[in-house]
Amino acid sequence: MTTLIVILWLVCSVFVIFEKKIVRMILWLFLSSIIASIIYLLLGSPDLAMAEATASAFVTIIFVIGFEKFFNLRDMKKYLKDEKEIEKENKFKRYILPAIISIGILVLFINFAIPVEQNDYLKNLILDRFTIDIGGENAVTAIYLGYRVYDTIFEALLLVIAVVAVVHMSNFDITKVNDGKHSELETSGMALFLVRIVAPITIIFGVYLIANGFLSAGGGFQGGLAIACFFVCRFFIYDIYDLPIKKINRLEDFIFIIIVAMAALTIFAGLIQQVPYRFMTLAQEIYLFVMNALIGIKVALGFIILFYRYVAIERN
Amino acid sequence: MNSIELISIIVFFLGLYGLLTNRNIVKTIVFASMMEVGIIMFWLSIGFTEGMVAPIVASMFEVDNYQVYISDPLPQALMITAIVIGISITAIKTIMFITLYRKFKTTDWDIAKIKSKEVSKEAIQKG
Repeated sequence: MTTLIVILWLVCSVFVIFEKKIVRMILWLFLSSIIASIIYLLLGSPDLAMAEATASAFVTIIFVIGFEKFFNLRDMKKYLKDEKEIEKENKFKRYILPAIISIGILVLFINFAIPVEQNDYLKNLILDRFTIDIGGENAVTAIYLGYRVYDTIFEALLLVIAVVAVVHMSNFDITKVNDGKHSELETSGMALFLVRIVAPITIIFGVYLIANGFLSAGGGFQGGLAIACFFVCRFFIYDIYDLPIKKINRLEDFIFIIIVAMAALTIFAGLIQQVPYRFMTLAQEIYLFVMNALIGIKVALGFIILFYRYVAIERN
Repeated sequence: MNSIELISIIVFFLGLYGLLTNRNIVKTIVFASMMEVGIIMFWLSIGFTEGMVAPIVASMFEVDNYQVYISDPLPQALMITAIVIGISITAIKTIMFITLYRKFKTTDWDIAKIKSKEVSKEAIQKG
């Protein structure tokens, strides 16, 4: 069963390679990501399956909107003219040498790959101890909020940097978002009807994932992505730029500072060990819930800004 | 090396091949996202046995030998951050491409290279 779906994934990826039109390529990539998320579920990681599904939807939206604004994706004549200008190039250098390089590295990788003698020590240690050390019932949440909270802080920092880069490069001062202007994107009635049905379900799902993240599959990242998808739906329904992006940007930086302070106080400084033994479980669960909520809000705000900056760029 | 690991490595190198052969910048960005999915799949499939369950307390009671049939939580926690970083990096790449397209009016790596050289030469001549 698993092998069959994995082969389907491989076939979709091959279609991405040999597709000429860019719209179809983006859709094939979306399909292959969705199939990949089903495989994640079969591999025993529902957290990642949810994250990948929302992430692939978001990436597809970014691609389609970002490229639709600049050239009509359906007719790429302008792009094809560019191709013909440098057609006299060496075929060997263009196609055969990259093939030799990729196949060679692939063979070397498979040949010299270390046979994994399933070293279970760390896995068993974490699975035995995470309910006592960190609390909660989800081992993945326990790792990224407890044992490896430094990684989470670094990830939040990278998201802040990404938002700063996108705001800077998309000429924030020239093209303003918050003047209540209607968008120029084409909309279809049927899609709008579906989006209207899906949007409230999306935000309820996001809040549920954040609130329930430490008890079952879910967490800050997935919930934040789902909430960001709700705001994407909201944009398509009302068709207007009216969110105060500057305030959202400032709020995001503020929440990042709170996340760093909270992690530094509770985990690095060991404040959570000072709690009396009777209230230990309660304190741990409050810590996990608050951190999940903060990360969820931060991720949601970051992706709302990214989406609105893409939408704001005008076609020239 | 099990079959899922093998296929995920193959997908990664398919993406690399597409990255090397295509001159279109948009296609390059798409292939980079494809390589990322391959890497994540490789990390998750290490030590896979059929019928694995999630590392959650409730599902630990469903299986007999939980040390074998429960999936490893450490790569999952690392890969969740990798997915979120991957989206933000894709966003940066796309916005960089849009800025480049505004300046040089091309989607081709080679033409963009030639035009940027011309621009830098003019800048040197001006002083």
